[in-house]
Amino acid sequence: MITEELKRVILTALKLDDWDIQDETIATQVPGWDSLNHVNVILAIENHFRVRFKPVEVLKLKNIGDLQALLTAKLQKPV
Amino acid sequence: MRKELGNENEAIWSRWYKNAERAPDRDAIIHWVAGEEPFRWTFSALIDTAEGLAATLVEHDIGKGDVCAIIMRHNKILYPLYLAVVCVGAIPAILAYPNPRLHPDKFRQGIDGMSSRSGLDWVFTERDLEGTVRPSLERPGSTIKGLHFPLEWKTGHVLTKEQLDRVITRHKLVKRDDPLLLQHSSGTTGLQKPVLLSHRAVLEHVKYYGQAIGLNSNDKIVSWLPLYHDMGLIAAFHLPLALGIPTVQIDPFEWVMVPSLLLDAISLERGTISWLPNFAYNMIADKIADDELDGINLESWRLVINCSEPVRYESHQKFVERFRHWGLNPLAISSCYAMAETTFATTQTPPGTPPSLLALDRNALAQGKVKIAQDADRAKICVSSGKTIAHCQVRIVDENRQEVSDRTIGEIAIKSRSMFDGYRNYLEKTREVVCDGWYYSGDYGFADRGDYYVIGRKKDIIIVAGNNIYPEDLEDVVGKVEGVIPGRVIAFGEEDRQLGTEHVSVIAESGMTGDQGQRKLKMDIIEAAMAIDVSITNVYLVPPRWLIKSSAGKPSRKANKERILSGSETRKAKTNDYGGIEARHTNRAQVG
Repeated sequence: MITEELKRVILTALKLDDWDIQDETIATQVPGWDSLNHVNVILAIENHFRVRFKPVEVLKLKNIGDLQALLTAKLQKPV
Repeated sequence: MRKELGNENEAIWSRWYKNAERAPDRDAIIHWVAGEEPFRWTFSALIDTAEGLAATLVEHDIGKGDVCAIIMRHNKILYPLYLAVVCVGAIPAILAYPNPRLHPDKFRQGIDGMSSRSGLDWVFTERDLEGTVRPSLERPGSTIKGLHFPLEWKTGHVLTKEQLDRVITRHKLVKRDDPLLLQHSSGTTGLQKPVLLSHRAVLEHVKYYGQAIGLNSNDKIVSWLPLYHDMGLIAAFHLPLALGIPTVQIDPFEWVMVPSLLLDAISLERGTISWLPNFAYNMIADKIADDELDGINLESWRLVINCSEPVRYESHQKFVERFRHWGLNPLAISSCYAMAETTFATTQTPPGTPPSLLALDRNALAQGKVKIAQDADRAKICVSSGKTIAHCQVRIVDENRQEVSDRTIGEIAIKSRSMFDGYRNYLEKTREVVCDGWYYSGDYGFADRGDYYVIGRKKDIIIVAGNNIYPEDLEDVVGKVEGVIPGRVIAFGEEDRQLGTEHVSVIAESGMTGDQGQRKLKMDIIEAAMAIDVSITNVYLVPPRWLIKSSAGKPSRKANKERILSGSETRKAKTNDYGGIEARHTNRAQVG
C-alpha cells in the first residue's frame, strides 16, 4: 500500500496534481516518469524522507510497491 | 583453426582476428552490470564465441547482404553475435529495445518501416519480445524471413571442420567495400533514414579518428552509450575493437537510473576516454551525492568528449568544478562534431587542449550574425567542436551552397573519406543531402581560424538527451487525440538550461474551454505521447486558427514556437478571454 506521503512526494517531483498510484504501478505508466526523470524522483524521495538508497537497490525496483517496501524498511532501520 | 578465417581483403573481421592473435588474453569488452562482477571478454574468447555463433547463422542460411536487426537488452552475448553477423557477410542493425511505455503497435510500425525501407531479412531478439515482433513477420509483404532467439543458442562449443569450412566459405565472399552495418534513425512515420556504412568507411574512420584523439595501447574506453546510437556503436565499440584496446560497456538503462556507475567504472577500471552527450555532464554533476563518490579517483580520465548535442559551456564548467576534487583533469574536457553519415567524427578538439571559446552577442546570434559581445550580460559563450580530423573537409555554405567566410553562419557541409554509402534504398533522400561528394548536414555553424562551432540546425529535429525526436511523429499522435483539431498541432524543442538539453513542447489548437476540460485534454495529449515513448514537458492549448501557417499551408514550427515563447504573446494570451494558453513552465500535467 502506497502511503499518501510517498505518493505526494512522487507527484510533486513529477509536477502532477494527482495520479492513481498503486503497488503494481510501474514508473513508465506515470506521466513524466521517464528514464531521465527517474533520478529526480529518487532524489526527491531521499531528500524528503532523509534516507539514502544504494544503486543496486534502486535498480532492483520493479514497481512502486517495491519502492514503498524499500522506503519503509529504511525508515524502520535504527540509525 | 581460427587462422583460416583470415581474409586478404582486410574486411573488419580480419582486423578483429588479428587483434585476437596479437593479444589473445587482453580484455576486449568488459560487460558491466551494476552490483555484479563484470564479465570480461578477451579478444580470443570474443572471436571464438563469434565463430561458434557464425556457424549457427550459416545453419540458418544467413549470409552475405542479409540485413539482421538485433533487438536485445544489455547482454554479454550481444557482442559476439554482432561480430558473427559481420563474419558471415550479413549486415547488422542494432535497434533500441522497446521501453515498456512504447505501445507495441508503434514499435511494430518502426520494424515494418524498416522492413519496407531496408529490406530487413532477419530479426534477432529475446523470447519476451516474440509476441510483439512476430506480427511484423507474418504481415503480407513482409521481407522478414525469420525470427531468432540467440540467447537460447549453444555457445562455447568447438566447431567441426565442416562447420568451420562453411563459415569460411561465407566469410571469404566479404570484401572491404561491402556494406558493414546499418544505422537506423528512430522515427515511425516513414522518417527513418538507414545509414549504410562499408567496411572501408569504418576501418578508415577509426584510423583517422584514433589519430585525432591520440588513441594508444594504454587507453581504455568506458561507455554507457547505447549501441544503436552512432556515438556508442562507432566511438565506443568499433573504434576500440578495431584498434585492439579494451572497452567497458555499461547498460544505458542502468546508467540513467544510477549515473554514478560511469564514475565507478572509470575509477575501478582506470578508464581513459568517454563520450557523453551534453545532458550527461549536467546529470552526473547534479545528481550524484558526495557519499556516492567515496573512493572515486578520476585521474586516469584523459578525455571526456562532448558530442551529439549542442555543446554548452555551462555544462563543462559545472562538471569540472564538481569533479576536480576527485582527480578530474580540467584539460580532459573535449568536444567533437559527428554524425552517422560520415561514420562518426568530422571535427575534434586536440587532446589536452581546452576547447576554444567565443563570447558572442546573444541578440546578434539570434539574427544569424557572429558578433563578439561587448557586454557580458548579453554574451553567449560558444564552445568550439574542434578542427577537422584527417581526410575530412568541412565548409560553411550559404543557401546556394556557396562557401562563406570565417565568422559567417551557414550550413555545415562535410566531405570525408569515411562517408556513408547513402541511405539504403532511399536514393531521393540521399540526393537531397549529398552533392558532388559533399554531405549537407542541415546543421548551422561557423568557422573561426580552423575551429568549427555548431550553433543550431536547419531541421526541426528535437534532441532530448542525445536522442532525436521527429516532431512529425509527435504531431501525428497528438493530432489524433479527441479534442485536438486534426493537423493543427506543432511540436518543438525548448532549451532546458538546468538539464543541459532540450525538452519537448507541443502547441495544439482546440475548441475545448473550461479548466477541467483543458486539464483532461492536456493529460490525454501527454499520455498519447507516452505511447511513442516521448515525454512532453509543456502543452500549450490555443484556440482554433491560432497557429501561423507557413507558405506551404502547414503550421510553421519556427514561427509558432517564437510566438508562444515571446513574452508579449504570452502576456496577450493570458489576458484574452479564451484562457487556453498558459505561460511556459506552468502547465505540465496539471491534473485534478
